[in-house]
Amino acid sequence: MKPTIYAENLSRRYGSTVALDSIDLNVPSGRIVGLIGPNGAGKTTALKAILGLTRFDGKLEVLGLDPSKRRDDLMEDVCFIADVAVLPRWARVWQIIELTEKLHPRFSREQCMKYLAKTKIPQNKKVRALSKGMIVQLHLALVMSIDAKLLVLDEPTLGLDILFRKQFYSNLLNEYFDQERTILITTHQVEEVEHILTDLMFIKDGKLVVNASMDDIYDRYTELMVRPDEADEARALGPIHERVLFGRHIFLYEDVDRSRLEPIGELHKPSVADLFVALMGDKEELAEQVRTMEGAA
Amino acid sequence: MIKDTLTRLQVLLRREIWESPIAFKWTPVIIAGFILLFTVLALIIGMKVDNRMVFASDSIRMFAELDPEAKRLIVSGGLFSISAVFTQVMFIVLVFYLSGSLYDDRRDRSILFWKSLPVSDTLTVASKIVTACVIAPLLYMAGVALIQLLLLGIGTVLALIADVNPLTELWLAARLPRQWTLLVYAALVQGLWLLPIYAWLLFCSSWAPRLPILIAVIVPVLIGTFQHFWSLFSSFSLPEVNLLWIVLQRIGAGVTPTSVEWETISRDGNDSFRPSEETLMSFGSVTDHLFSVDMLVGLVIGLVFLVGAVWFRRRATDA
Repeated sequence: MKPTIYAENLSRRYGSTVALDSIDLNVPSGRIVGLIGPNGAGKTTALKAILGLTRFDGKLEVLGLDPSKRRDDLMEDVCFIADVAVLPRWARVWQIIELTEKLHPRFSREQCMKYLAKTKIPQNKKVRALSKGMIVQLHLALVMSIDAKLLVLDEPTLGLDILFRKQFYSNLLNEYFDQERTILITTHQVEEVEHILTDLMFIKDGKLVVNASMDDIYDRYTELMVRPDEADEARALGPIHERVLFGRHIFLYEDVDRSRLEPIGELHKPSVADLFVALMGDKEELAEQVRTMEGAA
Repeated sequence: MIKDTLTRLQVLLRREIWESPIAFKWTPVIIAGFILLFTVLALIIGMKVDNRMVFASDSIRMFAELDPEAKRLIVSGGLFSISAVFTQVMFIVLVFYLSGSLYDDRRDRSILFWKSLPVSDTLTVASKIVTACVIAPLLYMAGVALIQLLLLGIGTVLALIADVNPLTELWLAARLPRQWTLLVYAALVQGLWLLPIYAWLLFCSSWAPRLPILIAVIVPVLIGTFQHFWSLFSSFSLPEVNLLWIVLQRIGAGVTPTSVEWETISRDGNDSFRPSEETLMSFGSVTDHLFSVDMLVGLVIGLVFLVGAVWFRRRATDA
C-alpha cells in the first residue's frame, strides 16, 4: 500500500531563506502525526507543499499524487483547516454547506447537520456575523463531515475555549479517526494533542530534528527526577537536558540504560513539551538558566 | 466527466451571484426603478401642465395614425434605447467585479477554503469569466425586459384614456419577442467582443499584490501615453498605433444600441436614408460583428490573458 505522504529531499527556498531543507517523509495511513516547531521553522511551508498550495523542489507524493500538479484531484481525499478562520465572510452558513455539498463528492450533509446541532450557529447568518469561535466550529463541522483519507489541521483550535477544544479532540479520535485515515496536526498547544499522537515530528530551521513514533520516542527518551544531593550523580550519566522544578532536578536522557537510572530517582515518560524545549531550545541559554536556578536554590 | 464539470460550474456561478447580489441582482432592478420613477414624475408634471390630458391624448391619437413602419420605429426604438443604460452600467459593474474576483479571496485568506475544495483553478477562472460574459448580460437584459413591460403598461393606460387600441398600436408595434431575442443575442456577442478587456482585468486580479483595478487601468494608460509622446518627440507625429486608443475604441464599439455607426450611415445613406428599427441593431449586423476579424483578434488576446490568469491562480495562496 502506498504511503499517505511520501517525500524525498523536499525543499523550498524563498530567495535566500531556506524554509524547507531536504526533508524526507514517509507517513503511512492510520497515523496521527504532530508536526511541532517554533514559529518560522517551516511548518506552514511543509503543509502548503503537501496541500498543493506552494511550489517545491524534490519529490513529494500525497496519496500517490503530485500536489503541485493535481491539487484539485487530491482535494477529493484531503481536507484541511488553516490556522485562522478562512471561510468566506460574505457567505451565509447554509450557502457554505450547500457549496461544499455540491462541490465535494465525499461530503455528508447529514453528518454536518449532526455536528452543527451541537453548536449555537444560526444557519441564516453570514459568516461575517459569527464569532471567531463559531467560525472555527463551522469549519470543523464541515471538514469532519468529509470522508477524507488525509486531514491536515494547522492550529485548528486557535481561539476556542477549553471545553470545545477537549470535545473537538475527543470527537476527532472517537468518531473521525480510523485505520484508513491519517491526521496531520500542527499546534502550539502541544499538551492537548500529545496523548492522541501516534507519531511526532520536530521541525527546526527547515530540518526534521525528530521523526519517530511515540512508542520509539518513549523508548528512546527517559526523564529522571532526583533530589539536589543526587544531581551530580545523575549529571555524570550524560543527560541531554536539565531543569529544576520545586527544588527537584529533572534530567532528560537519550538512549540510556534505565536500570542505571532507577536507583537514583523517579523515572517518568517525558512530556512532548519538555522534549521540545530540550531538543529545540538554545542549549547555551538553558545551561545558563540552570546555573542561575541552582544559585537561587 | 463533462457533465460533472458542468454541474460544478453551475454551482460556482451560483456562488458568484451569492457573493455579489447587489452587482448582479439588485443593480438592474434599481436601474429599472429609476427609469420608472422618472417616467412617473414626468407624467405627473405633464398632467399638471396639460390639464385633462388634451395634448397627451392628441399626440397619442396622432401617433396611432402614423404608418406601421414609423410606429414600430418609435415604440420598439424607444424601448430598445433603454437597454443602453443597462449595458453601460453593467460594464462599470463588471470592471469592479472582475478586478476583485481573483484578488479579494487572496486578501481575506478565504482562498484557502476555496482551494480546499476539489475544484480546478481553470474552472474557478472559467466561472468568473462566464459570469461576466453570460450571466450578467442575461440578468441585466431581464432588467431591460422588466422596465419595457412596465413602460408598456403605463402606455396602455394612456392609450385607453386616449381611446386608442393599446394592443395593436403599442404591444404589437413593440415586437417584444423579436426585440428580446435580439437583445440577448447582442448582449452575448458584446460579451465576447469585450473578452480581451474582461480577461485583462481577471489577469490583473490574479497576480496583483494589491489594488488590481488601479494596475489594470494604469498599465494601458502609461503605455498609451508613452507611445503618444515617444512618437511626438521622435517623428513629430501622432502614433499610428496607440494602445489606449485601441482599448477605448473597443469599449465604445461593439453591438450596444449606442454604438450605431453614424459615419457609415451618413456616408452610404446620402439623402435617401430613412431611419428604421434596423438602424439601431439587427440580427444581421450582430452576426456580421460576431464573425469579424476584430472579434477574432480580441478572442485570441482574451484567451491568452485567461491562460495567464489560470497560471497565476494555480500559484496563488493567501497574502
